[in-house]
Order: sequence, then C-alpha cells, then structure tokens
Amino acid sequence: MSVLEIKSLTHSYTDGSPFINDAVSDVSFSVEKGEIIGIIGHTGSGKSTLVQHLNGLLKPTSGEILFESENIWQKPKEIRKIRSKVGLVFQYPEYQLFEETVFADIAFGPKNMGLSGDELTRQVEEICRLIGIKEEYYSKSPFDLSGGEKRRVAIAGVMAMKPEVIIFDEPTAGLDPKGREEITEIIKAYRESTGATVIIISHSMEDMAEIADKILVMNKGKLEMFDETDKVFSNGAHLKEIGLNVPTVTKVFEKLYDMGIDVEKDVFTVNKAVEILTELKGRDNNA
Amino acid sequence: MLKDITIGQYYEGKSLLHKSDPRMKIIWLIALIVLIFLAQNMYALGFAAISVIIAIVISRVPIKMYLKNMKTILPILLFTAVINLFYGEGEVLFSLFGKINITDGGIYRSVFMALRILLFIFISSVLTYTTTPNDLTDAIESLLSPLKFIGLKSAVHTLAMMMTITLRFIPTLIEEAEKIMNAQKARGADLESGGLTKRVKALIPILVPLLISAVRRSYELAAAMECRCYNGGEGKTRMKKMRLSLIDLFLSLACIIIGAGIITLNILL
Repeated sequence: MSVLEIKSLTHSYTDGSPFINDAVSDVSFSVEKGEIIGIIGHTGSGKSTLVQHLNGLLKPTSGEILFESENIWQKPKEIRKIRSKVGLVFQYPEYQLFEETVFADIAFGPKNMGLSGDELTRQVEEICRLIGIKEEYYSKSPFDLSGGEKRRVAIAGVMAMKPEVIIFDEPTAGLDPKGREEITEIIKAYRESTGATVIIISHSMEDMAEIADKILVMNKGKLEMFDETDKVFSNGAHLKEIGLNVPTVTKVFEKLYDMGIDVEKDVFTVNKAVEILTELKGRDNNA
Repeated sequence: MLKDITIGQYYEGKSLLHKSDPRMKIIWLIALIVLIFLAQNMYALGFAAISVIIAIVISRVPIKMYLKNMKTILPILLFTAVINLFYGEGEVLFSLFGKINITDGGIYRSVFMALRILLFIFISSVLTYTTTPNDLTDAIESLLSPLKFIGLKSAVHTLAMMMTITLRFIPTLIEEAEKIMNAQKARGADLESGGLTKRVKALIPILVPLLISAVRRSYELAAAMECRCYNGGEGKTRMKKMRLSLIDLFLSLACIIIGAGIITLNILL
C-alpha cells in the first residue's frame, strides 16, 4: 500500500514581485511502505520545497498529498498530527537544539505529541539506545557536544516521535567521512527497527547508490525521473545533461568498458565493483 | 509573515530622488518632518500633503509599494484617529451611549492627526525606497563627521559600521528564524494556538537557537573582518564619493519653497 501519494503538486512563490515562480510544478509520485527513496537534483531544483509539503509545513498551491490514502489538508487544524507521522530532519539540524540537556531536547518532539511521564522517558531512551547516544550524555548540554554528536542528537529529536515516514534533507552535509558513515548507519538502524519509510535528499550519488531503493530526480521544479536506483543511474548521459552525475565507481567502469575491457557498465556500488573485479581477476588467473 | 517586514527596502530606480545625494535626502526628510509638525491648520497640512504626493510621484516608485507599508502602520493610525475623535471641542454632532460626545472639532482633529502620521510614513518611505541602506549609513557617517572635532572620531565610524552590519543581517536573521521555526514545527511545536503565556513559551525553542546562531555569526564576521585587515576606518577611502549636484540644489530649493508655503499658510489662515 502506498504510504504517501503525491498528486500533481504545484507550489508557486510570489514574494510580492510580479513574477510567479513555480518552485515545484505538477509533481506526482507515490511511495510504498518501507521503501528508501533518494531525491537528487541540482541546487534550487525544488527538492527542499517538495519535502516540506510532505509533512504539511507548506501548503500546495494546487494538488494533493495523501498520507495513508487521506488528504493531509482535509482538516487543516489537525495538520500538527501529520508532522509526528511524517518526520522531517532539516539541513544542519544541529542549529535547532535549544534545551538545557540532551535528554530534554530529544523529548521536545514526543512531548509536543502529548507524551509524558514514563512513556516519554521510555520512548526517548529507546531511540537513544538505538542510535547510540550513551546514558552519560543525557544530562549534558547539547551545546557542549561536538558537531557530529549534535547532529546525532538533533536527528534523535525527530526519530523520538517515531514517525512512520522520515525525511532527511542532506543529512550528511558538512560532516567528515566518519561522521557521514555514522549518520547513514543511524538511518539504517532506525529503518530496521521500525520498518519506517525513508526519504533522503542528497548530493552524494555514492551514498544514494548504496542506500536507496528508488531515486527521484528533480530538475527545475519538475519531476525528471522516478525509478529504481539501477535504472536511474544507467541513464548517466541524461543525468549529466541536468547537471547531476553518476557515482564515481560507475564512471570508472564506463572508462574500463570504453578501453575495451569486458565488464558491465552498470556498476553503481563499491561492493558490486569489488565482486566484478574479483571475478575478473579469477578469470585472468585461470587463463 | 516574517517576510512582510520591510526595513530599509530599497526599490531600484533612476529617478531624480534616486540620483540625489543621500546626505541631502536625510536633511530634507528631517526638514519636512519638522515642517509637517509645524503645519497648524488644514490648509498648511494640505499643502504639505501635496508636496509629499509630488515627492512620491517623482520617486517613480509604484504607489503599491507605499500602500504595502500602510498595512503594518494601520493599527496605530486607527488608534490615533479614534482617540482624537473624543478630544475635540465645538458643536456636538451626536452622542454615543448618551455620554460620549462626538464634536465637529473632534472629527477635524482626528482626520488632522491621522493625515499627519500618514504623511510621516509616506515621506520616510520615499527616503528608504530611493536610498540603499549602505548609502544611508554612509550619509549618516558623513553627516555625523563634525563630531570628530570633539574627539569622537572613531565613534562616528563605529556607529556607522554597526548600522551597516545591523541592516545587512536583518534579512539573514529573518531567513534563519524561518528555518528554525520550520524545524521546530516539524518537531510538533505549536506556534499558532493557545493563550499568551503558552505562545510566549512557544517562542523559547525559536529564540534560543536564533540567539546562538547570531552570536556564532558575529564571531565569524569578526574573524572575517580581521582577516581582511579591518582596522576601524583608519585611512579608509571610498569607491563611491558623495558629491552635491544640480539636482540637489534644485530639490533643496523645492524644500525651501514647501517650508515657506507651510509657514505662510499657517500665518495667513
């Protein structure tokens, strides 16, 4: 069953000027439960505007967003409920921390949902355990943590609401390789334990190839492609046309292919590459 | 919402007022505000109103822009008008609830006061629409420069720099505030409902991060300025020098005529 269905969504900014810009124009797609969707696109292609519609932060100029077959704007007064079901982690979420302790900050979301007492404590602790925030951190000030730790706490703050769909807007931006890997692990861990649907905006084609089931490509506010990851990345020429790219490892294999070496061109992840190269080496040794 | 705030909103143009010296524009603005205050009767104020309208016309900024500013000022305008309605003397036109008398003097006063405020807003907008914030601060720095003769040399530059930085960061902070608001809303924060205390409390999750980011930005800015050898205006030269031109002479004459007109109308009528 589709957990999210977007029907010809259009969003125009007016900004008081006579120009009307369609930040998102006539976008339709649906997301199945448990999928990991990657959204890629050039800067300003409408990715962030698109995802802010999914939890009701922005209201569509026209079109509909259905969560579990129900239009989220049917009861505008209850839009806050949808925000606990569709969690959104913004870019640089560490800048939204405000509480005196890590624990209190993570508890902000679930508290807004109406949880309190033991139930609240349990839910926060559960998330902390899941994504590796140790107990000695609970009473620390979030402002004393390192950049990567802050981001982990901020992400925990959204996960603590136990959303069924969780959206990340460039979750790994500005982190070092280790930090990036850790964030990816957190996302995987959350999905495995809750079965949640995950939507990730990213500029890293490598990360996308590694983690996403399907990829949605945005270009100038329009939906350019929405397909399985392999199919999208096998369309390298088209991606390059709209200012995007394929994973580096794919480029390597394209080069190898062009050099006349007998390999597949459609290699998107490092693991797959290792597999093929090992096999190739085996063949060479046998020959 | 937050985006409706217009502070120092410059409207690109090539009118006489855009081209004139920002220092003179500040002087004219101060002069006109004093003159509007001096206008004692409807004729003098009417004359001032015509002058303001002419200024708006030659600014070549669409009237829509001026009316947009009105939205925020409307409550103050209405409040002044209503309060003054009850403070008039003269013939009683009608009574409210049998106790409060509305007189013709009251109505006159109410219209007079409202018109006066309206003129202040419009004439000030003429300045902000035709002058970039940077030009404004440069002009203020230049106008305050006589202070250096009484030993406040660095104070003038510091003040001007502080104003420039403030103006520069208003849009940045608005953008930042909106981002934080969205982030907290995404965590289920309720900013729109509840009583006063609840609403004030709901601001904490926005104000704390905003303040922290403002402090962080100021450190970064200070470091960036030091990297570019900022030393507080010592030996600073300007790319754009402000010079008086014929336009300024012409517009100054116009201001003097307006002044003379208002004072004459005050005395004669």
